[in-house]
Amino acid sequence: MSGTALGEFKDSAALSLGVELELQLVSRRDYDLTRGATDLLGSMDYDGRFGEIKLEITESMIEISTQAQASVDGIAADLAGLRDTLHSHCARNNIGVCGGGTHPFHHWPERRICPGDRFHGLYQRYGYLAKQFTVFGQHIHVGCTSADEAIWLTQALGVHVPAFIALSASSPFVDGVDSFYQSARLNAVSAFPLSGQCPALDSWQQFTEHFAFLQACGIAEGIKDLYWDVRPKPEFGTVEIRVCDTPLAIEQAIALAALAQSLCRWLLRTRPPLHTAKQAHVARYNKFQACRYGLDAMLSDPVALCQVSLRESLARLLDDISEDARELGCLHWLSPLKQMVVDNAGDAAWLRAQFAQHGNLHDVVRAASERLMRQNNDSRGVTP
Amino acid sequence: MIESLIAPLRAVWESLIERLLFLPPFPESIDALALFSLLLVTGLLMGEWLHAHARWPKVIGYVLAGILFGPSLLGWIGVETLAQARPIADAALGLLMMEVGRRLDLSWLRRNPELLRSTLADIGLSFALIFVFALWLVGLSPAWAAATAAVTMASAPAVVLLTVEESRAQGQVTERIILHTAISSAASFVAFAFVLGVVHAELSEDWLNAVVHPIWVVTGALLVGGLGSWLALRIARALPKRSLAQVFVLVACALLAVGIARMLAVPVFLTLFLMGVLLAAFDRRQTLRYTELPDGHWLLAIVLFVIVGASLPWQEFTWLAGLQALGLLLVRAAAKAAALAWSGGSLPLPKRLLVGMGIQPLSATAVFMAYELASLYPEVGRSALTLPLFAAAMMELAGPALCRLALRRSGECENEAGERGGIA
Repeated sequence: MSGTALGEFKDSAALSLGVELELQLVSRRDYDLTRGATDLLGSMDYDGRFGEIKLEITESMIEISTQAQASVDGIAADLAGLRDTLHSHCARNNIGVCGGGTHPFHHWPERRICPGDRFHGLYQRYGYLAKQFTVFGQHIHVGCTSADEAIWLTQALGVHVPAFIALSASSPFVDGVDSFYQSARLNAVSAFPLSGQCPALDSWQQFTEHFAFLQACGIAEGIKDLYWDVRPKPEFGTVEIRVCDTPLAIEQAIALAALAQSLCRWLLRTRPPLHTAKQAHVARYNKFQACRYGLDAMLSDPVALCQVSLRESLARLLDDISEDARELGCLHWLSPLKQMVVDNAGDAAWLRAQFAQHGNLHDVVRAASERLMRQNNDSRGVTP
Repeated sequence: MIESLIAPLRAVWESLIERLLFLPPFPESIDALALFSLLLVTGLLMGEWLHAHARWPKVIGYVLAGILFGPSLLGWIGVETLAQARPIADAALGLLMMEVGRRLDLSWLRRNPELLRSTLADIGLSFALIFVFALWLVGLSPAWAAATAAVTMASAPAVVLLTVEESRAQGQVTERIILHTAISSAASFVAFAFVLGVVHAELSEDWLNAVVHPIWVVTGALLVGGLGSWLALRIARALPKRSLAQVFVLVACALLAVGIARMLAVPVFLTLFLMGVLLAAFDRRQTLRYTELPDGHWLLAIVLFVIVGASLPWQEFTWLAGLQALGLLLVRAAAKAAALAWSGGSLPLPKRLLVGMGIQPLSATAVFMAYELASLYPEVGRSALTLPLFAAAMMELAGPALCRLALRRSGECENEAGERGGIA
């Protein structure tokens, strides 16, 4: 039964990568969110050479997803191509595109659910939460050679969720005010009943049994109903990291993909002990800390029974995985992350600096939109 | 009619005035504020009633109130009353025209050349077909045929803006309706200025006026609009963006421009449209870019459309004139639909035709332009411009409905359940 709903786990090339970015469609007149996704896709003349451009739940969102790539540089090329394609089509329709985990001042009741059975079903099931779900995330897929490996990585990556949240945090403003969070986006995700962490499971067999249990209870019908921070994706043969805010520039999105790939290689190579059951007790607290304070978070260590600085532990982690990054050919993409840990200069800080400079959120979105579209290409392609 | 109603009151008043020293003479005309209030409430009630019971756009109700109480039917709003209310209408139209000018985004045409093609086709075809219709089928002289084409070629900015606002529409069809309306209005104003000279030349052979009047109108509007926008940007720069103070500065500068334009006999609609265009073009620091007109502009808009409704010459209606106006509207509709069918800038054909439907309104600016032209040579102008005035009169009622239908068919309106409209 569960096998039917989940499908077979499709093995994929080890550590292959795929990236999805949910982006904001904004009016070029006042930089509020605008409705335009369906018309934009309807008028698009694009052959899919860099991956897909598709609808998301509301008309003010659009999702770009790269093709499966063996290397981070492949992801970089796809994301640059997708960004430029989207940019030229949006320009023809007088629509701006913007990164960031939340739109700083949009009024959620004005959002329109996209046409389609799936989106309509979500709106019927979740009501206003579906419109409030107009938040924008980056999902990173890492290829796994087996279903059991995917489950192990799902558990192992759970410990590092705060690092991905802090490094991608780009949603400090909600409803026109500073939320004091670095990433306020995940508060919108937390409202969904099946959000959170994957329970302590050791194998694909246990996962399918757990899913069958959820199915029998009438809670979940498919893998898409599980809004977990990290989840296996059987149809792609990947493990999917879902906690990142969409960064303000594709370079940061690429760097996060490099972190995911290097980290997975390091985890699979060193196989650290997981302490899954203990981690489950502190996971929500640690996630809150990362959302609220970003790199300044103090995380709870359920094994050493102490608090540790996320900034310090992340600096050590980035050093630890450097050798794996070198082997994968993406060490140069980790440099901006290392610098960010030192400088504390993430996207949330940049947005707050823009607000301090302009004094209004319309100009903040304008600046953010220009930043996403700023091309940082050289002859070898997009660079960190 | 109104005289017979107040006659007994006047008689009582005049009998008392000898004994009650404090009584002023019986008021011969209604106070301006009272007039404003009456026009507002009448229009508002009619608009709200039609909207609630028939789901019609409220603008239609405002116009119907004007027609009902105007000189054509009940006569409660007389010709003198209309003249008295003109400053309010000018202020309302001015603010709406400024808003349309601010929304004229020429950079979009640069990014999407197909749009440039469709707007040029709309302008060219509309003017040419209406001119030919008025010249050959109606039999107007070339000057008045050109005047008719200049007055009726464009969509109605005020109606379009209010309908979009009332429907809370958002999307590609909506944005393109606004763009087409703004650009065709600009083209119509250029044609209007040119036609001024042509009318002078044909009717008086006075070459001085034929040359200087268009220059006066265009230069005057440009200078007054430029002064208004410069002043607004200059003062607003010192104030927080999107603050209430900035809104007041914007409105005050617009009203100043309206006042100066009236003093110099320069068309208010042209002056304020140019002020809006210049505001958007020179606002490099985004000083006023995000500052919106207050909801209060709906108050003025209601009065504007009541006055426009009352100004329509229904008392001069003949079946021939009606048929000719209907013919003009059909030719105009065909021109706009053909232009949009030919090229619409990356939008599928059904949606392009909806844009063509959405730009059908013909309203306040056309009526005001027609009266400006007619006032040059009243003895011939009024009868020569009966055609565009009747076309506007018909479209006053059909235009908002067509625009609203286009927005709804495109699926870009707010859901009916959540729809509150501009003033509800």
